[in-house]
Amino acid sequence: MSQLNYRTINIDQLDPESSVNFPMETLLPANLPAPETSSDAANVASQVRQLLRGGDTEGALRAALDTAPLGGDDRAKEVHMATVTEVLQGIRQADMTRVLESVCGGDGGAERADCLMKYIYKGMSSSGPSGGGQSPRNTISPQSTGGFSQIQARNVGEGGGGQQMSVLLNWHEKLVEVAGTGCIVRVMTDRRTV
Amino acid sequence: MSQSLRPYLQCVRSSLTAALAISNFASQISERHNVPEIESGASPELILNPLTVSRNDSESVLIEPSVNSVRVSIRIKQADEIEHILVHKLARFLTQRAESFFILRRKPVKGYDISFLITNFHTSSMYKNQLVEFVISFMEDVDKEISEMKLFLNARARFVAESFLTPFD
Amino acid sequence: MATPQAHHLFHAPIADHSFSADRRTVAVARDNNVELYQSSGSKFTLSDELKGHEKTVTSVDIAPGSGRIVTCSQDRNAYVWEKTPTGWKPTLVLLRINRAATFVRWSPSEQKFAVGSGARVIAVCYFEEENDWWISKHLKKPIRSTITTLAWHPNSVLLAAGSTDSHARVFSSFIKGTDARPEPSAWGERLPFNTICGEFLNDSAGWIQGVSFSPSGDALAFTGHDSSVTVVYPSAPEQPPRAMLNISTRLLPLNSLIWNGENEIIAAGHDCEPYRFQGDENGWRLTGSLESKAGAGAGAAREESALNMFRQMDLKGQTTVNTKLKTTHQNTINTIRPYEEANGQVKSFSTSGVDGRVVIWTL
Repeated sequence: MSQLNYRTINIDQLDPESSVNFPMETLLPANLPAPETSSDAANVASQVRQLLRGGDTEGALRAALDTAPLGGDDRAKEVHMATVTEVLQGIRQADMTRVLESVCGGDGGAERADCLMKYIYKGMSSSGPSGGGQSPRNTISPQSTGGFSQIQARNVGEGGGGQQMSVLLNWHEKLVEVAGTGCIVRVMTDRRTV
Repeated sequence: MSQSLRPYLQCVRSSLTAALAISNFASQISERHNVPEIESGASPELILNPLTVSRNDSESVLIEPSVNSVRVSIRIKQADEIEHILVHKLARFLTQRAESFFILRRKPVKGYDISFLITNFHTSSMYKNQLVEFVISFMEDVDKEISEMKLFLNARARFVAESFLTPFD
Repeated sequence: MATPQAHHLFHAPIADHSFSADRRTVAVARDNNVELYQSSGSKFTLSDELKGHEKTVTSVDIAPGSGRIVTCSQDRNAYVWEKTPTGWKPTLVLLRINRAATFVRWSPSEQKFAVGSGARVIAVCYFEEENDWWISKHLKKPIRSTITTLAWHPNSVLLAAGSTDSHARVFSSFIKGTDARPEPSAWGERLPFNTICGEFLNDSAGWIQGVSFSPSGDALAFTGHDSSVTVVYPSAPEQPPRAMLNISTRLLPLNSLIWNGENEIIAAGHDCEPYRFQGDENGWRLTGSLESKAGAGAGAAREESALNMFRQMDLKGQTTVNTKLKTTHQNTINTIRPYEEANGQVKSFSTSGVDGRVVIWTL
């Protein structure tokens, strides 16, 4: 008798009225930009890179944040993430506050600040665009049920990606100074992810 | 405090402060219940986007906010096998005594070494900034504790080995 | 501005508070009970307890005219309390909800009150003479999550509601026989029960924590968990609003707000202090805190690391870092209400919060 184990079925999931099935798309505003593809994102990336090469770091950051693919697919978001990271790494620490004040001020500045904060957190949650393989992140399974085993893959090593994280952490600190804690709150509530 | 530790802790501090804006909220699934929504996970709209703060690939903090509770998980630095064992033992020691730490979760979230669960009942009976400070000081102290234990362990191992190998005369 | 009058009533969260019309009595929700405090001199002393709820009381409201108190709780019930010579007598309200009741407010006419709930309905309650009880009618669609807050329009028909589904909505709660037909307004002309006169969502979503109509009723303001305040000016029935202004702040989320005239909003929340917003249809901005902080150096104190604190404790056996906050409230503010007002202008207002304090602020 190969029957389903009825005790393990989550019946709430089968009820369309249940709050488990909350329609998350209703949290997205109606003015969401049209979905972008990865080739659009790549176009933006080359424009931004041009600005960056021309020494206009401020303009590059502004352009990168204004064109964030909020409605794009995962691939487009990844490409854009790489662009933003490149811009952030291309700005010297001494210039951060000046750039931030001008990018996050003026018309639409608050949105740019929120958007930048989203990218900073996204950058910290992924282990870096280029070198994802420094640590066996996906395979670590530490101590879930007690009992220490010698054959576990584990979270060992000085930890790569420190350089990139340190850049992001610096940006985070400066951005909180400029845009406040409210900026972080909006990263949590906003369902338009980057 | 080392140069790269300070921005890391500062980032955790501001992220936690933002996440700890929680309030009393009764369950909308089961009547007359009041459960931490982040643990029940039964209403997706009551759970906000999680935040990750990382210092490098082996040290990070995951903050999972919801309407009435926040789950904070910490991945502690483990540079080698010994540190791995020590972190594991220390986390086990603490979680077994979770009730005296109020906000400690009995089981860490998968992929992390130790987790805290802060609910609105904690923020209403304790200062919110002090709760944040507690987590920060825990993070500061745990690294120190681990390296101290490692030094102590090495010294002891050397001593044991020496006395074991000392020839009888 | 005068220093705020702080009354520290007890060490427990105050979910909601309400002053009587003569401002001599304040009702506060404490755990499963409602406590009534009487003012004597400059202090408030406990005079009565309303016991009956079995779970946390979430909201309390005193009708200024009749003096009736309505309370609601997470045990799914609401009671209307009336003063009799032998004490306060509760009457159970037939709410017909199966989840926690979260918020209750009397309509300005005092003929009705609305109860928000976790069952994704708003129960609009009115008194039925024949059977001598309070019965309810449900506002249901299109609410998708728990109702967190409610506010009445001055005409006692329109009701604004905020919910954890991130929408603020304006409903009609017209009840035949109880309400007079309302004047047509920008919100709507014909208003049968459960007409949706407006549905608003912020770009960055966030649960709605507080709603309020302006004194004229021609504008709606709401605060969301995205640390913002949004002001909506409706244009005409069935039309998109004339203006919807979102002020995103650098603060923590705000929980509650009141209007002071048509051009000022006062809001308070997780930052433990009230803030003032000013503006009109062309734009709103945050003008600042209403709290006068005691000198500078607040930032410097915060920078002090935990390590230093423990080192201090270790060396001196005491901590020099003061754990007290610089604000009057020591924890999140839950409710803000007008205390003294005339023609829509607020002279003073009261706040209550998780720290067990009720504070009266003079503008």
